[in-house]
Amino acid sequence: MKDTFVGDLLKPKALGNPTAMRQTFAEYRWEFVIAVMLVLAAVWATTLSPYYLSLDQLLFSSRNLVFTGIMTLGLAFIILTGEMDLSLPSILAVCTVSLAKASQANLPLPVALAGITVIALMMSAFNGFLVAKLRLPALPVTLGTMGAYRGVAFIIGSNVGYTGFNNTYKWLGTATVGTSPLPVMLLVLVGCVAIFWVLMHYTTFGRRCFAIGNNSAAVTYSGINVARTKIGTYMLGGLTAAMGAWIFIGQFGSSRGDNANGVLLGMITAVVLGGVDINGGRGKVLGVLLSMLFIWTLRNGMGLANIAGPIEQLIIGVLLVTGVLVSNLTTRGNWRPRTRKKVIAGPSAP
Amino acid sequence: MIANTNSALARRISTTLSRNTLRLRVFSVLLSLAAMLAVFALTTTNFLTLQNLKVIAFNASLLTMVACGESIVVITRNLDVSVGSIIGFSGFITAMFAAAHPHAGPLIIVVAVGIGFVLGLVNGTIVAYGRVPSIVATLGTLSIFRGFTYIVGKGVELPSSYLPRWMTNGAEATVLGVPFVVLVALLVVLAMAFISRRFPIMRRVYAVGSNPGAAVFYGLRANRVVLFAYAACGALVGFAAFFYISRVGTISVILGHDWELMALASVVLGGVATTGGSGSIIGVLFGALMLSTIDNGLVLAHAQEYWRMFIQGFAIVGAIALDAGIERRIMAIFRNQRV
Amino acid sequence: MTAEAERLSIRSVSKSFGPVRAVRNVSFSIEACTIHALVGENGAGKSTLVKMITGMLPPDSGEILLDGRVCKFFTPLDARRSGITAVYQDPKLFPHLDVSENIFMGFQPRNMFGLVTKRRMYTETERMLGELGVEIDPRALLAGRSVAEIQFVEIIRAMCADLRLLILDEPTASLTPAEADRLFAVANSVKQRGVSVLFISHRLDEVRRIADQVTVMRDGECIVTAPAADMTEADMVRHMVGRELTSFFVRRESRAAGAVKFEVKNLSLPGMFENVSMSVRAGEIVGLAGLVGAGRTEIAESIFGIRPPKSGTVVIGGVELKPSSPRQMLRKGVAYIPENRDDNGLIVELSIACNICLAVLDRLGPWGFIGRSSESRFAKPFADDFEIKTPSLDALAGSLSGGNRQKVVLAKWLGSEPKVFILDEPTHGIDVGTKSQVHQRVSKLAEAGYPVVLISSDLPEILAMSDRILVVASGRIVAEFSRAEATQEKVMMAASRSPLLVGAGEERP
Repeated sequence: MKDTFVGDLLKPKALGNPTAMRQTFAEYRWEFVIAVMLVLAAVWATTLSPYYLSLDQLLFSSRNLVFTGIMTLGLAFIILTGEMDLSLPSILAVCTVSLAKASQANLPLPVALAGITVIALMMSAFNGFLVAKLRLPALPVTLGTMGAYRGVAFIIGSNVGYTGFNNTYKWLGTATVGTSPLPVMLLVLVGCVAIFWVLMHYTTFGRRCFAIGNNSAAVTYSGINVARTKIGTYMLGGLTAAMGAWIFIGQFGSSRGDNANGVLLGMITAVVLGGVDINGGRGKVLGVLLSMLFIWTLRNGMGLANIAGPIEQLIIGVLLVTGVLVSNLTTRGNWRPRTRKKVIAGPSAP
Repeated sequence: MIANTNSALARRISTTLSRNTLRLRVFSVLLSLAAMLAVFALTTTNFLTLQNLKVIAFNASLLTMVACGESIVVITRNLDVSVGSIIGFSGFITAMFAAAHPHAGPLIIVVAVGIGFVLGLVNGTIVAYGRVPSIVATLGTLSIFRGFTYIVGKGVELPSSYLPRWMTNGAEATVLGVPFVVLVALLVVLAMAFISRRFPIMRRVYAVGSNPGAAVFYGLRANRVVLFAYAACGALVGFAAFFYISRVGTISVILGHDWELMALASVVLGGVATTGGSGSIIGVLFGALMLSTIDNGLVLAHAQEYWRMFIQGFAIVGAIALDAGIERRIMAIFRNQRV
Repeated sequence: MTAEAERLSIRSVSKSFGPVRAVRNVSFSIEACTIHALVGENGAGKSTLVKMITGMLPPDSGEILLDGRVCKFFTPLDARRSGITAVYQDPKLFPHLDVSENIFMGFQPRNMFGLVTKRRMYTETERMLGELGVEIDPRALLAGRSVAEIQFVEIIRAMCADLRLLILDEPTASLTPAEADRLFAVANSVKQRGVSVLFISHRLDEVRRIADQVTVMRDGECIVTAPAADMTEADMVRHMVGRELTSFFVRRESRAAGAVKFEVKNLSLPGMFENVSMSVRAGEIVGLAGLVGAGRTEIAESIFGIRPPKSGTVVIGGVELKPSSPRQMLRKGVAYIPENRDDNGLIVELSIACNICLAVLDRLGPWGFIGRSSESRFAKPFADDFEIKTPSLDALAGSLSGGNRQKVVLAKWLGSEPKVFILDEPTHGIDVGTKSQVHQRVSKLAEAGYPVVLISSDLPEILAMSDRILVVASGRIVAEFSRAEATQEKVMMAASRSPLLVGAGEERP
């Protein structure tokens, strides 16, 4: 039965289209809520410990924010088109252990970076191929590649960490701007946010992603190659994993097969809380940024309150589930996630 | 619509193929298993010894029970990646309970199954009624359940000496030379095979996975069926957890880590399509056996343990691709399109 | 006819969708134990009426009585429980299960423990199959069955639940003549078991063969209900199309057309259409008439590259090529306005401006960058030109009425600067006022020199707009009429020819 759209759609919704004439409060409803939650979280963290607002503390704890944040931006694009990639952290791990090998072989940094970029692009392109060209279901398939790539990371890197990175390798993760304590990698993160913001809201690529996430059949009927765009988003994700890997080894100074094992939950939660509809077609980079900061602040606070790791993950898990539930609720005002339309002429997917 | 003149013959061939495709699929799993056994037997020493085969069977038993549970969920076109955390939580609570009430006997098993059942209900509610995509939902509950385990356990580790004697002894016991656990697993498989063929609720599980739209159309209460699937999965996983804690050395918070991929790999390898509606429990058994054989073979061949993860992941991808191809063929004929 | 002998009574039922009046004051009765045919063109209101009978839509006014009792169905399940079941082209069955389980799903025979007894299920299935004279292996997987067999399974499933009225919607569309015969035999068996059958079909010869009574609908109204023996095919056609061609539609002045700008040569896609050829001149509108399922949309989608053809070529702007993807055909200048507007034509969740720019995203800005107002700047002239009624171009496309949505789709394609327009049912589901606006636009396209292919099931429309009409039936072009010689009856007769008459002796899927 066809849903009737007209009444619901006249209600203002945060749609992520920046050419709106009036950027009303209603359009940024979701982002506003997240911003409020962020402030509350920061306040809570401050009450836990007087050290929270100290620069040292903040900068130190940004270690986890940057590389995760960059990958989260990449993941947001993939989810925007209505797909998913669970293997990004695994790709990052393959890159870190590959950098270790490169470092052992004393390869110059540009060569090593080029190498991991190629590796990451190939792995993510493979994911994209499976999902976009072979039309396999993204969730179980990337669950499989997540394991496969993690296995590759272990095979290359084993469980024994490598710490012998020379300083050029570690530059991005350790350098600061001039004599100030501001780490370069934070600037990189800011830069990435800016780039992704433009990419998502001010380029044809971004437009196509929004369109595909809403109705990929209509996009095909408009003469756009949907598979190509989707593979593009996957490769973009791979790129973010490669960049994250470089930052990672700088920050932590070591690499191992299990790197970034456990950041996936936080990434998906950040994307979902950021207002990106889990079924695609909706979202803003601003929202993702705010929710990234929110989760980071929350984690920070929990660390200060000496809350144990598993409990942290529990809370993030709760946030994820409630985030999706709330998102479903606000889509149509009823309990129905948006259905995605399939290409009429294609093989009938379930 | 018009057709070629030779299409009649082509249709007949393709209908026979697709009719038997699902059966062929399970058969191919068996073939692969046999081939793998042969390969390992020829290339590594000590593979075909009775001792070694017992080890494979032993390891496969637990995996089989968990995979049986997971397969019910997969048949409904959903996934459950929280099985590892269910093992962890259920196992931990059960261990604590057993340590406190060593004479409770079979009640301990009930506790294990019951906890798993409840956790499964939580999963099912979120997926079926909350309309949260199943991987996202169970990814969330994975962490939530793990967190609960921590809260309850407070980071304490229980050595297996705390468990009642009969549990730890039972884990090692053999009946006519066959490990007890293996017999239990076989019983579970047989029971599941019977149930999946004769119980109306399980037939509805297949129907919902095969064509959810039609299931709703005929008033089969698809939501309740999905809820049941997750609850049944949880119960089976809880049951497996009971045996797991009897075997394992220490019971800690990270119990059950990494089971997600193994369970799913066994299920998918065993011919249960993630596109839903098809799959047999026997296939799942073969899938679990195949995975355990690979594991074992790798160990004997002195390969690194990490190959296991790689192979599991790749097996999942390969099996999904294969099944997607089969599914497309089935649906194309079903909708009278060109195959 | 007494009330008791009436199985289904439809009394003054009406249904409107906004300004579109789909069903207008329809009244007729289906007697018990009869096969009652419902004929009418596409858009006559048949499917809306059936949706109301089966509980998918509530009628705006009037009532439906089953066996003398008023029915109020809220869901199709209610209708099924009362004994009304419809069998559509899209099977609602479970392909992974076997035949008998498909029939008995939800109410399998059980033994005293509550377990399913497969043996009884199989014997019951065999019995029912035998009663209806159908031969299918009850243990076979449903997925491998032919279309005809799947239909039978659906019918048998329906029979299990105290069936009063069976609705068959275009059941013979994909059947071979032999399979159609078997279906008719089954329908008669069903009838003998006390079930009434509502048979919806375009194949008038079949209607005469199998139906006891015929109801003809036209433009949402019930025109006549009479015994099938009293009506010839010509009579039926006359009722179906016998409307006055009022000046509702813009009567296009036929101009001398220019050179041939668009050609299709021997396009074939096995199973869909065969040997389709046409040539369209600049400024010419060629209409493709035919019944639903004749293959016109498949031909158009093939030309556009969505279902690339197996053989044959397309000539655009002097270049001959074989369609392989929509992207390629868009680049070569094909503009295809799809039949299913809301699913394929535009994206209702995006803004109007965005929709209009969808085909030309690459051209909006340098290096792929789209400025804040690039989209609205590009879209505004089109929106004004088409008089799209909206407060702002940033409003979501879903807020527009059907007619305005179609304008958005037209604007989108006009913006892509194509070389040929293919319009598939462009005024489907649009109110009369906007319809004529759309017709005017299509006329203007031709006047501007574009070759235009117009696919329509609306006979007055296609007669008024086209310079030439090609009639498509069963995937082939079976007739061609010039503007002067075309009449509604001629076109309908050509289109309704049974596959038996078109290429006799051929096997069909």
